[in-house]
Amino acid sequence: MNCQGDAVAALLRAGRTGALSLLAVLALVSGAAHAIPPEAQYVGEKVCVKCHDVEARHFSGTLHAKIFRENPKNALEARVCEACHGPGSLHAPRDNHKIRENLVGYTREWGTPVAEQNAMCMNCHKGGERMHWPGSAHENNQVACSDCHNAMARFSATGLLRNASISETCQNCHAQQRAEFHKRSHMPLPEGKMSCTDCHNPHGSTTRPLLNADSVNDVCYACHAEKRGPYLWEHAPVRESCLNCHQAHGSNHDKLLVAERPYLCQQCHTSPAAHAGQFFRGDQTIGSSVLGGTPSQRMIGRACQNCHSQVHGSNHPSGARFQR
Amino acid sequence: MKPALRPLLAALACAMATAHADSNWICPAPGNALNPAGVNPVSAGRWMDEEGMGTRIPTAHSPSGQAYNIPYDNPDETPDKKDASWKQGGFAEVGGLKVFGNQNAAGFLQYKDLKSGGYLDNFAAWGEKASEARFYEATGGAVGMDDQFYRLQFGRYNDWKVTAYYDGTPQVFTTTYRSLWAGLGGDNLALTGLKPGGTTSAAATQTNIQRALAATPTSELEAVRKKAGLRYDANLSETWKFYAAATDQKREGSQPFGAVFGGGGGGGNIEIPQSIDTSTYDVVAGLRYGDPTSSFNLRASASFFRNDIDTLTFQNPLYITTNGSNGLSPTLFTQGRFDMAPDNEAFNLKAEYARHFPDFYRGYFTSTVALGTMRQNDALIAPTQYPLTGGTVTPGNVPLAGNWNTTSALSRQSAETRIDTVLGDFGLLLRPANTLDVRGKVRYYETRNESTPYFACNPLTGQWGRLLNDGSGLSIVTASTATGANPAGTSPNAYNAAMCNLAAARALNVAPVAGNIPLGSVPYAYRQLVANVGADYRIGKSSSVSGVVERETFHRDFRERDETREDKVKLSWVDRGTLDGTIRVSYEFDDRGGGAYNTNPYLPYYSASLGPVPAANGVNLASWFKTMDQFRSFDLADRRQNILNGRVDYMVSQNMDGAFTLQMKDAAYPSDLGRTGHQRTNSATLDLSYRAGEKAVIFGYYSYQSGVMDQKGVQPNGCTAGYTYYFYSDGRIANGAIGAAPPPPPAGTTLTATQNVLASNFTDVCGNASATSPLFPDSRGWNVQSKDRNDLLGLGVKYDLGKVKLEGDFTRSLARTRIGYSYNPAALGMSATQAALAGGGLSDITFSQNIFNASALFPVSPNVLVRLVARYESGRIRDWHYDGVAANPMPTNNTVYLDGGPQDYHATVVGILLHIRM
Repeated sequence: MNCQGDAVAALLRAGRTGALSLLAVLALVSGAAHAIPPEAQYVGEKVCVKCHDVEARHFSGTLHAKIFRENPKNALEARVCEACHGPGSLHAPRDNHKIRENLVGYTREWGTPVAEQNAMCMNCHKGGERMHWPGSAHENNQVACSDCHNAMARFSATGLLRNASISETCQNCHAQQRAEFHKRSHMPLPEGKMSCTDCHNPHGSTTRPLLNADSVNDVCYACHAEKRGPYLWEHAPVRESCLNCHQAHGSNHDKLLVAERPYLCQQCHTSPAAHAGQFFRGDQTIGSSVLGGTPSQRMIGRACQNCHSQVHGSNHPSGARFQR
Repeated sequence: MKPALRPLLAALACAMATAHADSNWICPAPGNALNPAGVNPVSAGRWMDEEGMGTRIPTAHSPSGQAYNIPYDNPDETPDKKDASWKQGGFAEVGGLKVFGNQNAAGFLQYKDLKSGGYLDNFAAWGEKASEARFYEATGGAVGMDDQFYRLQFGRYNDWKVTAYYDGTPQVFTTTYRSLWAGLGGDNLALTGLKPGGTTSAAATQTNIQRALAATPTSELEAVRKKAGLRYDANLSETWKFYAAATDQKREGSQPFGAVFGGGGGGGNIEIPQSIDTSTYDVVAGLRYGDPTSSFNLRASASFFRNDIDTLTFQNPLYITTNGSNGLSPTLFTQGRFDMAPDNEAFNLKAEYARHFPDFYRGYFTSTVALGTMRQNDALIAPTQYPLTGGTVTPGNVPLAGNWNTTSALSRQSAETRIDTVLGDFGLLLRPANTLDVRGKVRYYETRNESTPYFACNPLTGQWGRLLNDGSGLSIVTASTATGANPAGTSPNAYNAAMCNLAAARALNVAPVAGNIPLGSVPYAYRQLVANVGADYRIGKSSSVSGVVERETFHRDFRERDETREDKVKLSWVDRGTLDGTIRVSYEFDDRGGGAYNTNPYLPYYSASLGPVPAANGVNLASWFKTMDQFRSFDLADRRQNILNGRVDYMVSQNMDGAFTLQMKDAAYPSDLGRTGHQRTNSATLDLSYRAGEKAVIFGYYSYQSGVMDQKGVQPNGCTAGYTYYFYSDGRIANGAIGAAPPPPPAGTTLTATQNVLASNFTDVCGNASATSPLFPDSRGWNVQSKDRNDLLGLGVKYDLGKVKLEGDFTRSLARTRIGYSYNPAALGMSATQAALAGGGLSDITFSQNIFNASALFPVSPNVLVRLVARYESGRIRDWHYDGVAANPMPTNNTVYLDGGPQDYHATVVGILLHIRM
């Protein structure tokens, strides 16, 4: 293997244009200081593969590889390996392999600053769904693109993630949510029917919890459009935010509720002329009735929703109390 | 071309690559319980590459310090661009499953469909024509099952692509349901064997229903969601990109629901199975632009919800009790009718623009503007299907016959509801120094309720209010006929003369019989403004600190508080240099307050607004109060919140890494009533994983979560004008007309206070919760505390035994909700038996679940592998809501509960699958 000799030949063939253009782009787009010395030049994929044949085989199954090799739209994409790692002429010689400043790497071991790594990715991937990445929660927490993605092999069905699925990738850090999805009532993530990106945009959004819609309710309506209404008779906390009553990920309570019924409802409803403010307790279950208790439909089964079944709103002209 | 221009053009060409490289994360990668990550053609049937990651050190870690997985041993797919033929391949994993145990339990069936029999677990087919960069890839699994999933993508790399997918999600609500009806899933539920409307008496009807229930086997209520989507993406040019997508979601089945008759509560209550047959059609199209300095997104979407069940009619087996009327037989109400979720539409147009300012502190500006609308205009149904012949309103005796079983009884014929939304979001990020970022953002979001207010008034009779529950109950506003409430001779039907002219009805200045009868719908709306400024400062090469200050303001229409403001301060620290890993810590303090709290802002929409309060002696004024003065709804209440978040990723060794996360959240609600005290949620997790190259991966994690929530309420007593209330030492309260001889104190008690209720003081003495409040006395106060605890243990292993590759994982989840309460049983009028049964709390709600998956993969030939799969699940739920329901589903003659609740289960799935490569 003569990486050095081949690199020189590639250097003569590729010329300096591409390297300079990459530097210009980085300076223009990201403002990040660039690690690779300016004299570095592109050497071509074949030079890289002479040493990195295993990586190249893994890489060949990825979308990046297909695009770069089969239909690159510009000189940068046609560089394949060097499109992401930068010009490799200084890295290619055997004695230089471990000099980190000669190449952009995406692992912790290599040590390229996160901002520089991300700037390389954003060369091609800025805008679109990543328009709000600068200043986003993940960027502010120094999360690198390569913390979630691994473009060197296809580990996931979509998205070039570093784990097999979106949910696994997010749960590498968001372990609390992993626990919530294993609760009694939960969104169907563990069962493979949903993923975190059904509700969130991890690359940034206009909302604090990185939602992929303008509001919490708009996210929920994507699957639960029957709650969208607007109804003839509305229920105020429902219209404002589903999270007033529901946990988004998982809950110990039925229907992903924040608390058990009837007590959840009683955190807003206390009407003195009816039963909302009554104290509901353990002698009012059916199990207690055989021992002398008095069962109450406000405690049994669906509790308040035994009668107020249209709790999200009603279109019935008599539905002001959500009973029809 | 001049040489000097080449680099610039090349730079522009490179930068314009932004328009091509927009990965589409919106289209899902559907899967199911046996394939939770979907189907990845590269990894399916393959193992970690024995050559590991290549020329790297044995393991490599992400920048945060988490180890990367070893890639799969895939063949080299480097294309020969001169080859004009299609290179194709595929595989299918097919065989059979056998399911043992409680395979029909709701817990086992939740979100999945595993049955004994032939099973096509997953498949993929792909092709590529490298010379033209054309491709296709089709994947899927669980063929023919309710949780089946498919995905097809084809196109030309970096040019255009079409993506289509289909995904089924079964949701089993219960498998212990005793349905009394035929026709589930449709719009008409007919009783099988029971007489609609009951028989001769409530007791006889109860006997019949109990007999029928005893003979009714349990069944399943389930809904299946089927979603299909199609999306087209195309690069129009170097800078422009277009996409368009459509999805069709259908949901069919039944779920537990409830129905009530009479005035609510005491009239008759029965669970019914709600039929579900809905479709949602979504279309979206967008344009994207990107160049070195600017990017622009334009997105238009439309969503159409259609409910194939406009109304749900069900036959009623109960002998009900009517309320508010005379002359109607309880057996008249042989069926009930719901108006189900209306057809609705939503539209949204969003434009986003971002621009870099490399010469202005390397700034970055973003702006988002969106306009949306949600609307529905379903035809309204008549309040009842019954002519109500012979019935009259109590009081006033206005006949009901023929006046309510027609849409002419409505103030309008269709819903006419609409809510528009406006979003404006603007942000600026500046980098005045290499180590310093400063940023600011303003976000405005508004909902505008453009609905035509609906007034509950019958134009045929001039009556304000509603028929309840198909006419078995009434909530009609009549004038108070209590002596002294109105001028002598005032008819209870006084308002009717105004014939639904609200202003004219109010101008009569007649006191109504009650204050809490809804007159019209409330047009809720809000405006949210968020403004924040923040800064990040980088310390050295590996640390940064940041701070954000934010104010969020809500203005709400027709809520208890016109305005709430929440100030937030958040400090964060990220460090990569202290450990072989990353530390992320943040602390946030939030303080919410706002304007004055109005306990009843809805007055104009209730009967209390029709006239003065009838504060005449003997009139119960409780219905003029919505709640006690000190009560605060938690979503509007003052709140102080402290949130501590921490995460450490640590590379224990070259092959082992660990992580620890912690969140401590304390939300203090200073209000005396409602959600009170400190709501605390704490969460801690520990992860460890060990990698022995491509040979083995072992991981484990443990999560602990706890939560505490407190609330306080007062069980209302009474507030009768002209009465004296007597408060005794044990908390009991008695009353009598002012001036009458006081009642003797209950044995063993002494009189501690008295309070008179007068027209001049009832608002203060009754509205305020206090020791001597007739309506909200402290002695009738109750506290409830809910404590949650969760433990989750997970273990997993991947092991290469040579020819056989083993994978396994196990999760054990434990949960407990403990509800404790305190109260004064004497003040609440509880008997000794009731107090003994109630005790100090409810039985714990507990949940435990174990899930074990294992798979052994071994080759029998170069293109055929055998996979042995095993899955064991067990679950146990205890929930006091369902205590005794299965044994006694009809505990009283007017309440029926058909859902026996969750059941314990354990089930095993074993399977032999052939993975056949083509």
